[in-house]
Amino acid sequence: MSKDLNNICNPTIFEKVFRTYSKDLKRFLYFRFGDMESCEDIMQDTFVKLWDNCSSVNYNKVKSYLFTVGNNLFLNIKKHEKIVREHQQLKVNDSTYESPEFLLLEKEFQLKLEKAIAALSERQREVFLLNKIEKKKYKEIAEMLGLSVKAVEKRMHGALKELRNKIGNI
Amino acid sequence: MKENKVHNDSEYFLAAWSEGKISAEELKKYVSKEDFKAYMELEKGIHLYEKLEAPLDRSFQKIQEKIKYKSKARVRKLYVNWFTSIAASIVLFVGLYSLLGNNTVLLNTGTGEHKNVALLDGSEVILNSKSEISYNKRTWKKEREVTLKGEAYFKVQKGSTFTVKTINGSVTVLGTQFNVISRDNFFEVVCYEGKVSVKNNISSVILLPGNSVRVLNGEIIEDHQVKEQSPSWILGESTFKSIPLKYVINALENQYNVHFDRSLIDESVIYTGSFNNKNLEIALATVFKATNIKYKMTTANIILLENN
Repeated sequence: MSKDLNNICNPTIFEKVFRTYSKDLKRFLYFRFGDMESCEDIMQDTFVKLWDNCSSVNYNKVKSYLFTVGNNLFLNIKKHEKIVREHQQLKVNDSTYESPEFLLLEKEFQLKLEKAIAALSERQREVFLLNKIEKKKYKEIAEMLGLSVKAVEKRMHGALKELRNKIGNI
Repeated sequence: MKENKVHNDSEYFLAAWSEGKISAEELKKYVSKEDFKAYMELEKGIHLYEKLEAPLDRSFQKIQEKIKYKSKARVRKLYVNWFTSIAASIVLFVGLYSLLGNNTVLLNTGTGEHKNVALLDGSEVILNSKSEISYNKRTWKKEREVTLKGEAYFKVQKGSTFTVKTINGSVTVLGTQFNVISRDNFFEVVCYEGKVSVKNNISSVILLPGNSVRVLNGEIIEDHQVKEQSPSWILGESTFKSIPLKYVINALENQYNVHFDRSLIDESVIYTGSFNNKNLEIALATVFKATNIKYKMTTANIILLENN
């Protein structure tokens, strides 16, 4: 029984691992490399790799496995890009190579923002998350919550204002 | 009227801006320079937040698709592995069969039986009772090696190294005559001619003609001089020199089809002497009269031993 619960080859367990670690992994990749577009792809490929090797990965070490594989996949892509660039002899903007200081500042800002979102009032956060994460329009939110569109707009406005105050001056 | 509309939008201008109804340029009108900068940063942060916190279902679905696509490609690989493993096991079976099944020659003797064996190179082995040797026909040309359980007398033809392996140690020679006993944890090698090297996992000894060595419970003891030209058991007599009685009784059991009940005697008494291999009565008399032990045939083939 306990063996079954720790077997990553079991689709239910695999999904559980995915739900537990995928966000952390994406975040790790982003703040390590600063390229959101590739992060999603690499996160997916990392889990595909985990599935391929599901029988040999220890359930208790799955987190470090994911982070190591993700890291390596990213480095491989960067290495490949570098070679391609050298052959094309192109000048490429280095925006994906964010400097470590910049990334650090960005990470700090991001953490501050997340804290601020968590500290919003229940009403404001609800509207904010439905709009931003669930991609609902104000009108849809209004219908869902039984409010007027105006009221939704008011809450959204308040949420943004609150966030701005919380993060202070940049 | 128009003013009124602008006012309506502007009441919750942040919500409108966030929704994309008013542009960043327009937002400038509503907020201070500093606030504007902050809102621009905030927008970036929220955008990132959206990505980081995006619902997982779509990602998971994509992963499932990738896995499906990949597993189709992997089927063939599995097939190849099947083939190689089948091929490998066939090779293994054939190999094992030719190594073990066909080429090992095994010879043994029963109670009281002797056997003369000629090996492939002309060497001669005389097996004492209840003994067994085996060797590999195929590798014989490369290395002369026999495995022995029990006692045997070897007359080895000159040639490459000749090895006798036993569980108690191994004997290596080039060409000579020697006797080996390896029964339970008793091991004795007597050299009659040439030079013999005896090895167990602790140490090794080289024997010259007339020398013998004995291993008892893993310990090598250099031993007595032998004057005979060949072991006495070949001539129908078993000879012992300073051996615990236990092994003499074992030898009797091996030679004759009898068992001894030893519970009433001290088996560690040291015995020197010989016994006849043809006549049990004489053999019993020679061994047990000398050690002052009474013997009595009880039931079928069981002899009770008792101190006098």
